[in-house]
Amino acid sequence: MTAIVGFPRFLAFSVGRALQGIRRNALMSLAAIATMVLMLLLLAGFWLLQAGLVAGVAYVEEKVEIVADLRDVPGAEAALTVEAQVLAADVAALPEVREVRYVSKDEALARFRERLRERGQTDLTGYLDRNPLPASLEVALVDPREYQPVVDLLSSREEIVDDVVEVQRLVERLTSVTDVLRTGGFVVLALVGLVVLFIIVNTIRLAVVARREEIEIMRLVGASDAFIRWPFIFEGAFVGLLGAALSLGVLALLAPPVGDLMYGFFRVLPLELGALARDVVLLVIGTGLGVGVLGSWISVRSYLAR
Amino acid sequence: MTTAPPFSPATDPAPGPAPVQGAGSAARPVLALRGIGKTYPNGKVALRDVDLVLGEGEFVFLVGPSGAGKSTLLRLLIRDELPSAGELFVDGRDLARVPHRKVPELRRKIGIVFQDYKLLPTRTVRENVAFALEVTGTPRGRIRPAVDRALAVVGLGAAADQLPTTLSGGEQQRTAIARALVHEPRLIIADEPTGNLDPLISWEIIQLLLRINELGVTVLMATHNADVVTSLRRRVVALEEGRIVRDGVGGYHRED
Repeated sequence: MTAIVGFPRFLAFSVGRALQGIRRNALMSLAAIATMVLMLLLLAGFWLLQAGLVAGVAYVEEKVEIVADLRDVPGAEAALTVEAQVLAADVAALPEVREVRYVSKDEALARFRERLRERGQTDLTGYLDRNPLPASLEVALVDPREYQPVVDLLSSREEIVDDVVEVQRLVERLTSVTDVLRTGGFVVLALVGLVVLFIIVNTIRLAVVARREEIEIMRLVGASDAFIRWPFIFEGAFVGLLGAALSLGVLALLAPPVGDLMYGFFRVLPLELGALARDVVLLVIGTGLGVGVLGSWISVRSYLAR
Repeated sequence: MTTAPPFSPATDPAPGPAPVQGAGSAARPVLALRGIGKTYPNGKVALRDVDLVLGEGEFVFLVGPSGAGKSTLLRLLIRDELPSAGELFVDGRDLARVPHRKVPELRRKIGIVFQDYKLLPTRTVRENVAFALEVTGTPRGRIRPAVDRALAVVGLGAAADQLPTTLSGGEQQRTAIARALVHEPRLIIADEPTGNLDPLISWEIIQLLLRINELGVTVLMATHNADVVTSLRRRVVALEEGRIVRDGVGGYHRED
């Protein structure tokens, strides 16, 4: 059939009929597009929330550090001793370690004073005859759960390490919370995705069912399955793309205020807004187009099975 | 059911010079059923052992009470359903051997007319008729003349740009007949085409089908309209409980 007619003609026919279908069934098309927009906005909203949640969880986990207080070495107030440098290099060589930072006694005191000032408390450290704070190594981990090898290494160098701050219970409590948050966020996003899929497919189904008479007539006058199916699939694709475009328009309007808010809120978070925006655009267009086509395919199929 | 007016001089149903063909015409059969049975999945037997041959150019009435199997028989002819038993040939082709993707081509050789017209309400008369050609991939240049020809046959040229909703029932049915004709089929199947029409308009539709028959198209018409059947004296096939109980020239009811 299509081979005789020629593919370009068939394509033009299908696209033409699809546009005609949208125009002639304006009310149903509008309802489908409106549903599509609402559902895509819902999906995009939850996607952004999930991205923020994951970034927040990662940020909190990043904060897990193993702190090793170093023994005082007279005369090394600001600089790193050779032994401490060797230890720092050894620790940095561990695969579990993301970063090692040396905090000198002076720096530790400066931080302490800063914190007092922030809290508005009186700084009495000026009355001390010497700096009581130890120098330390702050070790950031790739994965907070993998702290044991680092703790073992640091503890083994008793000659320079005074004390390894116990992180085990903190890490376990934290990761159990972050794991729940991550899984919960993913489950909610998946559920929202399913609901969106179901509602859009169902709306398109209603739009197709409203035209079963037309499909019936097409079958009776001898239209081939391809001639019946493809106009509806293009129609679904157009509705999907139109819905996606409108959703992206709404998101673009909302982007400056929401972006400011997110920037203010997530400034500290390892969240790349550029990549996030690209992901959302791909998500909205992909979902709109995919679900539009899928919905039409499923809906028309039941009429062609016979 | 409608009753014919006691007098209808304007639409004299006399068959005139049309050739009267008996059962089992010797002409090349357009339609041949041998031992056709149809049992639905729920166990209901709709047709049993139906033998029927329609020769080219015949005009045949299919009568019988509701539930006798008329609609099932018509659905088998367009392969909307497959028979449970027997053989069914349309235009010399064994329907059981027509692959699924060739069914549309088969349907284009059969024009179908229904009681409820099945027109698209948002399209004009012309668009409704053209629809049958558009959705079967007919080149645009061939559509317009074919539609004009079909509309001329049914006498609707003047109403071509009106919507079906603004037309009378008779005009809507004539639109449906034009759509059935536009593929230039060899067979027209009409399922209660006058069921929704008053007697006078019914006669006009019958006249139209007779004229189309005179152009050489075979017509199979299922109907409850006893007056039309009885006065035309054409071949009548009567179904009862899925069986053919009578096949021959006669009236709507058995004439002993």
